[in-house]
Amino acid sequence: MIALEERTCRSADIAAELERLGGRLMLLFVTAADSGRELCAIVRAGDSTLRLRAPLAGRSYPAVTPRVPAAHWFEREIHDVWGNVPEGHPRLEPLVRHGPERTEIALPADGDTSGGHRGAERLSGPGVFVFPYGPVRSGVFEAAQFLVQTGGEDVAYCAQRLFFKRRGAERRICEVPLELAVLVAERVSGTSSVAHALAFSHAVETLSDTPVPDRARAIRRILAELERLYNHLEAVVRECEDASLSVAQAQFAALKERLHRLAGETVGNRFLRGAIIPGGVRLDLGSAAASQVGDALRGWERDYRQALAVLLRTDSFLDRLVSTGPLSEDDARDFGCVGPVARGSGIDLDTRRDLPYDGYGAFEVSRHGDGDAMARLEVRFQEVTSSLELIREALGSLATGEIRNPVGPFVRGAALGAAESARGETLYWLEADGSDSLRFCKLRAASFVNYGIFNRLFDSQVLTDFSFIEHSLGLSPAGCDA
Amino acid sequence: MIRWFLRGVSHRKLTTRFPRAPEPAPSGFRARALLDANGGDLDQAWRCAEVCLPGALSVDERGRLRLDGSRCIGCGLCVEACGDDSLAIDTGYELATTSRGRLVVGEDAREADISPHPALGAPFRRSLHIRHVDAGSDGAIEQEIAALLNPYYDMHRLGLFFTASPRHADALLVTGPVTGPMEQPLRRAYDGMPEPRVVIAAGTDACSGSIWTEPEVRGGVDRVLPVDVYIPGDPPSPIALLHGLLLAAGRVQEASPPALPGDASASFAQARGAA
Repeated sequence: MIALEERTCRSADIAAELERLGGRLMLLFVTAADSGRELCAIVRAGDSTLRLRAPLAGRSYPAVTPRVPAAHWFEREIHDVWGNVPEGHPRLEPLVRHGPERTEIALPADGDTSGGHRGAERLSGPGVFVFPYGPVRSGVFEAAQFLVQTGGEDVAYCAQRLFFKRRGAERRICEVPLELAVLVAERVSGTSSVAHALAFSHAVETLSDTPVPDRARAIRRILAELERLYNHLEAVVRECEDASLSVAQAQFAALKERLHRLAGETVGNRFLRGAIIPGGVRLDLGSAAASQVGDALRGWERDYRQALAVLLRTDSFLDRLVSTGPLSEDDARDFGCVGPVARGSGIDLDTRRDLPYDGYGAFEVSRHGDGDAMARLEVRFQEVTSSLELIREALGSLATGEIRNPVGPFVRGAALGAAESARGETLYWLEADGSDSLRFCKLRAASFVNYGIFNRLFDSQVLTDFSFIEHSLGLSPAGCDA
Repeated sequence: MIRWFLRGVSHRKLTTRFPRAPEPAPSGFRARALLDANGGDLDQAWRCAEVCLPGALSVDERGRLRLDGSRCIGCGLCVEACGDDSLAIDTGYELATTSRGRLVVGEDAREADISPHPALGAPFRRSLHIRHVDAGSDGAIEQEIAALLNPYYDMHRLGLFFTASPRHADALLVTGPVTGPMEQPLRRAYDGMPEPRVVIAAGTDACSGSIWTEPEVRGGVDRVLPVDVYIPGDPPSPIALLHGLLLAAGRVQEASPPALPGDASASFAQARGAA
């Protein structure tokens, strides 16, 4: 359960208040309170989590983004969805809303630094053109569009355009019966089903003061770490593919396939769906299944280490990743990055340690200071090791007893749920309306904040770096778009 | 680089023999629900249908359960809630059909929909070039599609290839329930393909919209394009995708409706009678 410190201020002061608090902006959204609309910010400052509420007097309020860059996408979303205008936002064009009129390519105005556009350095002149890549891209990729401005080889500017895949997950979570809503959360980002189901469940458990049995907590940790393993392997497979290392790609893809098969055998779904519910888990892990998981992962780790040892001695691979897609620590902090993207730039943050849940104890957060594609991959390699260790530890501590508690009536009006997916911090903000149904849901996948800095990674990069940079972030358009 | 060469040639063969030999399926796998069309009284039927989030299970006016396999996400909640023999979980992977009606078990399943489709894909028997379009999936199915290239499935051995341009493509493999912003790009990809062409809806959300509803999504690929092959599953496993691709190439048999094996003949007969 996440303890929230409550504060209130005027909407005219929220930007100054957020700047004064410092820390990391986790969420910024508009919600309809009993007394009218209010702006709500969730901030992580030091060791505490704050909820800052600002009643909205009129349709507009002074924008937060000029003082707190991490707010840039949140405020555009607020403008699109609620129609409230953040006055003074440097780039208030549609973000989540797509219309037939949005076919033109909008480049930032000169001097516009919101979202880190290097506006002033923009290229212009003969031979410079914008290449729109996507949303249907060559190969098997999720729908997303990248507007690449180039004179031929150097990338002068690259803008990301997401939200082609918005399916209305927040609305659906509130519409469907509460006991089925976790199935929607599992399908927001299908490769992070466990993390989304956990973050959602944590919020429901806080709303209803439902304890989770120890056995269920251990099973949840096993599933969450198994999910981290196959997502980190996916990043490795994609980078090997980009570097044209066919054998390495095949072997890491085979290692990934073994993890999905293990998931299918233990949970019945290759992406671990249908296992986690508020109050515990739906499926028990019997002693036979537990030892099967332990044995399978022992053999898997041996083969993984052998392949990794060769990969880390392959110069043609390292050459493409080292110094590619640099993200400075300041940028990562200013824009509120999370997960391996933030940790690869030296930021010390991990939801499992900072907002502990499901029995995660103290552990060393994997970090790397270089901030390039290789650093992000190194963080993942370290996390594969720690995930295997966490699974071993959880398998050894499977307590006997129940695996689920019934979810009680709601005793709180609003709650925040968090979980660390393979991509970073995943958040669910839920509000109940007195009865046992949800009035409001705001979810934020790690990819939403990490996509916000995509355009900052192309400083002195060339076109052929594009896929290395993209895959080193390992993002999920489905999660970002929700 | 020599190290990778040696690792490559020394590795044992992993590839499945499907479709020449069946692939063993894990025993607890939840591919889809199966319904005994003759089972289930009214009280029970309502209880089963209530827990079905995508609305795959419904109750007709005579109090009988109806299962629309194009909506089933394989969560298994109905089997838990009913607790009798009228529902079960299918662990199989041969799920693809050439019509949505063939995925339905219940009284209104029409014979025209159940009887096998005329031979598909005669021009594609030897090779099929596939253009994938994501129209709003949850992202897992893209990884399952990409897994078809891993050594376990190795779809190139079957003459199946992904192609970058719709101009080269025989098949359009569409995932996702078709969100508003993806409708136009999807139509343009289809319009860019030469004839003959097949459209494959891959995954439960592409087959029917699944748990997603308007206004954000159109509710399935067949609201936008004519669909030739449906591959249900949330997400379908790589082997189920392989079955669907081979069905589009006319090289395997399509799946039977999701009826419990013992009563399949009875429900067929009943459906024929109703038609």
